[in-house]
Amino acid sequence: MALWIQITTGSNDPVYTQLINQISRAIAQGRLKTGDKLPAVRKLASELVINPNTVAKAYMHLEQAKLVVTKTGSGTYVADTKNRSADAAEINVLTERMDNIITRAINLGLKQNDLADIFKSRLEKFGDKKRKSGEENE
Amino acid sequence: MSEIILETKGLTKYFSNKAALEKFDLQIPRGCICGFVGRNGAGKTTAIKLMLGLLKPTAGSSAILDCDSMSLTPKIRRRVGYVTEGHRLFRWMTIAGLESFQKPFFDNQWDDKFFSEMIDYFELSKKQKIKHLSNGQWAQVSLALALAPHPELLIMDDPTLGLDPAIRRQFLQGMIRLIMQQGRTVLFSSHILSDVERVSNQIVVIDKGRLRAHCSIERFRESIKKVKFSFADKVPTDIDIEGLVNCRIIGNELELILVETPQEKIAQWAASEDAENYEIVPMNLEDQFIEFTEPKKRGKLFQWENN
Repeated sequence: MALWIQITTGSNDPVYTQLINQISRAIAQGRLKTGDKLPAVRKLASELVINPNTVAKAYMHLEQAKLVVTKTGSGTYVADTKNRSADAAEINVLTERMDNIITRAINLGLKQNDLADIFKSRLEKFGDKKRKSGEENE
Repeated sequence: MSEIILETKGLTKYFSNKAALEKFDLQIPRGCICGFVGRNGAGKTTAIKLMLGLLKPTAGSSAILDCDSMSLTPKIRRRVGYVTEGHRLFRWMTIAGLESFQKPFFDNQWDDKFFSEMIDYFELSKKQKIKHLSNGQWAQVSLALALAPHPELLIMDDPTLGLDPAIRRQFLQGMIRLIMQQGRTVLFSSHILSDVERVSNQIVVIDKGRLRAHCSIERFRESIKKVKFSFADKVPTDIDIEGLVNCRIIGNELELILVETPQEKIAQWAASEDAENYEIVPMNLEDQFIEFTEPKKRGKLFQWENN
C-alpha cells in the first residue's frame, strides 16, 4: 500500500505536504476507498525513510480534514465520504485558487471553452472511481 | 512540553579573542531527530564538542541528560552515542577489536546481534583491519559502533560528509530505526539539506556562532518566504517591513526574503508602496537556508552576472 507514495527531497513542497497531497489525491481518485487502512505510521516512516513524527503529523492533518479516522489501537482508516462537508470558508479558498488558475490560462491565450474542456477531462480522472466508491456506501 | 534531553544556556566559546560560539541557548526535547545546519565555520563542531564536554566553555553551560557537560560520568556517557567528524577510528585495529574495545564502556547495553547484523549488511568482515577499509566502510563501521548500544541520545558531527548516496541513506535509515525505539533522540549536523529534510522533525540553524533558528521543519518551511513585487516605475529602495532578511532588485521587480511576516503585512506593504502586484515564490529547503544565512552583498561574485 505504501509504495505509491513518493517522497522527493529538495522539492518546493515539504515532506509533510507531499504526504498529505498524495494521500488526499489517492482518496479523491478512489484508489483509497472508505474503510481502507492506511499504513501504520512507523511502517510508512521506515519504508520511506522519513521521520515518524512527520507521518503522524500528516495523518493528524488528514484527520482534521475529515478524510481519515483513527481508531485507537487499531490504525488509521479512510473516512466515510458522508462525513465530509466543506464549509463556506473552505469553498472560498477553493474558488480563489480556481481564479488563479483561470487567470493564468486566460493569460496563456486559452479560450473559455478550451478551459472548460480541460476541466472536464481532468475531472474524469477523479469522477468514475469516485462514483463507484460512492455507490458502495449507499 | 516534553522532557528536555540536551540544554545549553548562554554557551560561549572563544578561541584566542575570536568567538566561535556566542550566547548559544538550545533545548532539544526527547524523541526528535534534530538537523543541525550552518555554513562552514558557523560553530557546529564547537557546539557539539562543548555539549559533550570535550571543550571547556568560555562562558555559559551545557547539560545532557540533566548532567553538566563538564562533569559527565561514565554512567551518563554510556547513554550517549557520538560519531565524530571524519569517523576517526583506531586504524590498527580490526572491526572485532574495535567492538571488544567499545563494548565494555556500555555495560549490558551493547547489542551483539545488532552489531553483527549491521556488519554483515554492510558486507564487511569483523576480521578486516580499519586501515584497509575505504572511507565509506569507515563510516559504516562507525555507524554500527554508534548504534549497537542503542543510545538514548545520538550526536553525529557531519556523519555523511563525502559519502555516496547509498551509504548516506544507510545513515538516515539508522537514525530512523533508532528513533523508533521509545525515547531516543538524535542530533546531527549536515550540509546536505535534503537529508535533513528527509529525516528531521526539528531544525537548528547556526550562523557565525549564534543560534539563528530552532523550530520544527514544517514551521521553518512555512516561515521563510520569497516574495516578488512588481512596480510600474520606481522600485522602492528604503524598505521597512517586518521580518526582512534579504532583498534584491531585478529591473522593476523587487524580491524580498521575509521571515515570519504575516500575509496581511505583506499585502499592506505592497499597497502602501504602490506595487502593481506581488506573488509568493516557492522555495526549497536549500534555497531557504541560503537566503536565510547569506549576508547582504554589495558586489557580485562573478563579473558575468552583470549582463
